[in-house]
Amino acid sequence: MNINLLIWRNLKKNLKNYYLYVFALAFSSSLYFAFVTLQYDPALDEASGTIKGAAAIRAASVLLIVIVAVFLLFANNLFIKRRGQEIGLFQLIGMTKGQIFRILTIENFLLYFGSLFIGIFLGFLCSRFVLMILFKLISMDELAELQFSTQALVQTLIVFAAIYLLIMANNLFFIHRQSILSLFKVKATTESTVKRVTIVEIIIGILGIAFILTGYYVSSRLFSGDFTSINELFIVMIFILGSVIVGTYLFFRGSITFLGNVIRKGKGGYLSITDVMSLSSIMFRMKSNALLLTVISTVSALAIGLLSLSYIQYYSAEKSAFERVQADFSTNSEKEANMLTEAFNDHNIAYTEETMEVLVTTFNMIDLIELTVDPELAEVDVKKMESTVVSDKFVEGLDVLPNEVFFAGWPAMYDSLMKVKHDSSIVMHTTAKEYKLDFIGLNDEPVIPFYFTNGGSPTAVVDDTLYKQLQNELNADLQLNLQDQGNHFYKINLQNTGDIEKANNLYETMDFAHNTWSLQLEFEGVKIFIGLTLFITGFLGLTFLITSGCIIYFKQMDEGEEEKNGYTILRKLGYTQNDLLKGICVKQFFTFGIPLVLSLSHSYFAVKSGWFLFGTEMMTPTIIVMVIYTVLYSIFGLLAILHYKKVIKDAL
Amino acid sequence: MNILEAHKIHKTYGSRGNKQEVLKGLDLHIKQGEFVSIMGASGSGKTTLLNILSTIDHLSSGSISIEGKEMTKMKERQLAEFRKHYLGFIFQDYNLLDTLTVKENILLPLSIKKVSRTEANKRFSDIATELGIEELANKYPSEISGGQKQRTSAARAFIHEPSIIFADEPTGALDSKAASDLLNKLTRLNETRKSTIIMVTHDPVAASYCSRVIFIKDGRIYTQLNKGDEKRQDFFKDIMKTQAILGGVQNEH
Repeated sequence: MNINLLIWRNLKKNLKNYYLYVFALAFSSSLYFAFVTLQYDPALDEASGTIKGAAAIRAASVLLIVIVAVFLLFANNLFIKRRGQEIGLFQLIGMTKGQIFRILTIENFLLYFGSLFIGIFLGFLCSRFVLMILFKLISMDELAELQFSTQALVQTLIVFAAIYLLIMANNLFFIHRQSILSLFKVKATTESTVKRVTIVEIIIGILGIAFILTGYYVSSRLFSGDFTSINELFIVMIFILGSVIVGTYLFFRGSITFLGNVIRKGKGGYLSITDVMSLSSIMFRMKSNALLLTVISTVSALAIGLLSLSYIQYYSAEKSAFERVQADFSTNSEKEANMLTEAFNDHNIAYTEETMEVLVTTFNMIDLIELTVDPELAEVDVKKMESTVVSDKFVEGLDVLPNEVFFAGWPAMYDSLMKVKHDSSIVMHTTAKEYKLDFIGLNDEPVIPFYFTNGGSPTAVVDDTLYKQLQNELNADLQLNLQDQGNHFYKINLQNTGDIEKANNLYETMDFAHNTWSLQLEFEGVKIFIGLTLFITGFLGLTFLITSGCIIYFKQMDEGEEEKNGYTILRKLGYTQNDLLKGICVKQFFTFGIPLVLSLSHSYFAVKSGWFLFGTEMMTPTIIVMVIYTVLYSIFGLLAILHYKKVIKDAL
Repeated sequence: MNILEAHKIHKTYGSRGNKQEVLKGLDLHIKQGEFVSIMGASGSGKTTLLNILSTIDHLSSGSISIEGKEMTKMKERQLAEFRKHYLGFIFQDYNLLDTLTVKENILLPLSIKKVSRTEANKRFSDIATELGIEELANKYPSEISGGQKQRTSAARAFIHEPSIIFADEPTGALDSKAASDLLNKLTRLNETRKSTIIMVTHDPVAASYCSRVIFIKDGRIYTQLNKGDEKRQDFFKDIMKTQAILGGVQNEH
């Protein structure tokens, strides 16, 4: 038997054992190739167009390399450890470390580049599909074509060759560090980790939970106005990150063991099979994998958080475009409104036009709101707050009595700055007198375009009679902001939605000097950029999801191998395969579930602290992202269960 | 009363081209409350026999019944059920789960049978006192000695009061002091609890604690020795002589 034959035999055997490694390799290379193909696709040039878009794609491809490289290195590490005994045996029969390294290198070379080419081929097939998704996201009507880019191929080959060299260097290091004896022990080392729970661990456990909760609490105060300067915000953000990450580490390091121990103490030594399979194993395993799990949950949290935020942005794009524009076409200039309506008349486009006047006055809101921040820092005087005022005549579905007031377009961001007392009243100031108005409610839907609202402030809706009185007793100084633009808002809505394209074509031929907008065009403009962002975060998120899922799965394969002995014992004692499998299901539920739940809750708090900067709706998009992430992630849990099923079956 | 009856058991390994017959039509009867050891050279088939008797391995032909229940036709699930209720195991390498404490390991067989917790605790303290491992209850296997581990393993085998206890080289990894300690305890349990013990060993000292020794050679029973009223020392000498004849080499003692 010469070395070549040995390599060939090993390869055949490994292919069966490491099918997931091959899968992971093929998969990550196909993802990378598909992404790079996109980068070089001429169709995308139009989409990304701006320098920002191109830069985002390039940055994403670098990040992708980092994720893939770390993942492959990690996977390789796990697999070379499994072969420790074999390497020790080679050394024992007199092979030099150099020869062993050569065997491993050739073997890995075939395995690695074989999977790489499979991956590139798959990536090539996928790239069209991926491009289609992107076009759908940015609402581009172009047809995605299958294009093979040699540039992309070369780049992929270079990147993966570099990763291969890294892996080989790592293997070389591994082989050189080991003596024959220690190679034989590799498998046994993890088993000695079982020790009794000490007081230090209990303290670590409690600290871990405390750190995480502190981080969550501070994050909920982040944009509440407690921290005003950029520097302060930055320090607080670093603090939150640090506290949550350290907390997560300590959580895996101690809290799980601690909680497990409390449960076990309660059972008084009398454990059911499910407890044996899940609880006792997880308690000790999580501890030794604490660092890895921390990295996985933190980066998952980051991925879910970013995905949620960009989806919030995407999801709210239409709504926020509507909030900015308020009608199919809107303007604050009478002249430009006339330009539009004349053009529509000429081309037989049916429309309705409404004009709305916006006034500004001050209110004493001391009864209504209770600031949760220092009024001086926030520079507001609740006794004299400026607000835009409109008549209820123009607000559909709202009828306000003369002694009442309603606030429309109340931003979600205010929730963390102040508390609103319902059943209270406010006082409206005019030049002549003061009007006491009962507060009847608020909503988050603006009734006037964004440029009237002074950066998104709410608008008071009052009865038309009161509004007329205000017009007569108006404080002219307060209107200054609106004066140069005009304080009338012209709302032009088309009667037939089919005319929109025609109307937009007309709109595009005209020159406007004022705030004149088309809802459709406004929406499409932001959608390209937001869609691209969503696509990139989605792509990276998916890569990360799959790599981290694979890593936990690999770890489970390892654990299964180590615990096989235990399964043999349990089966000899008379537990059926099903009994064991039930325990395994519970174990997988926690092994995959704990990091997942941690990262979901981390990202939930991260999103919650700042989502209002990105869009108008938080819950729906966040939940959709989380559900998709959870479902995809669970697939790996199921795979792990299937693997265990095989191990258990072979155990007796 | 025979608690175990094995009739003409055959076991072959390997596929058609390369068949190897390990057990060649072996008959065996074990009475209730007996402490039997099975001896033989390496490769004589003693471990295979134990595995087959203890339902862990399937036999090629023949029949085995324990407490009158025919086992050869049982399905996997029924066999597991059977092991759960009627069998106990002690292994050479202890086979304790290292993520469980001593007490948890010992109580394991009871949790399958859904014995009440107070009953479980009572049984634990009984057997643990008998084997002298009470104070180890909350330790992990990595924290105790080999002898203690084997006693834990024995406690686990006895706690659910099985009909038969199978011991595979229980003293194989112990030093002589720990070994004789364990064997004394096994003998006492055999007497006080009237449990049947079948032990595979190649150590004549260990075998001399038994009431009967069965010698196996090339897949068949070669001979049997009964202790009767003999002293252990004399029985030991008999065993040594038989073993020497079995090995084909005369050994002067």
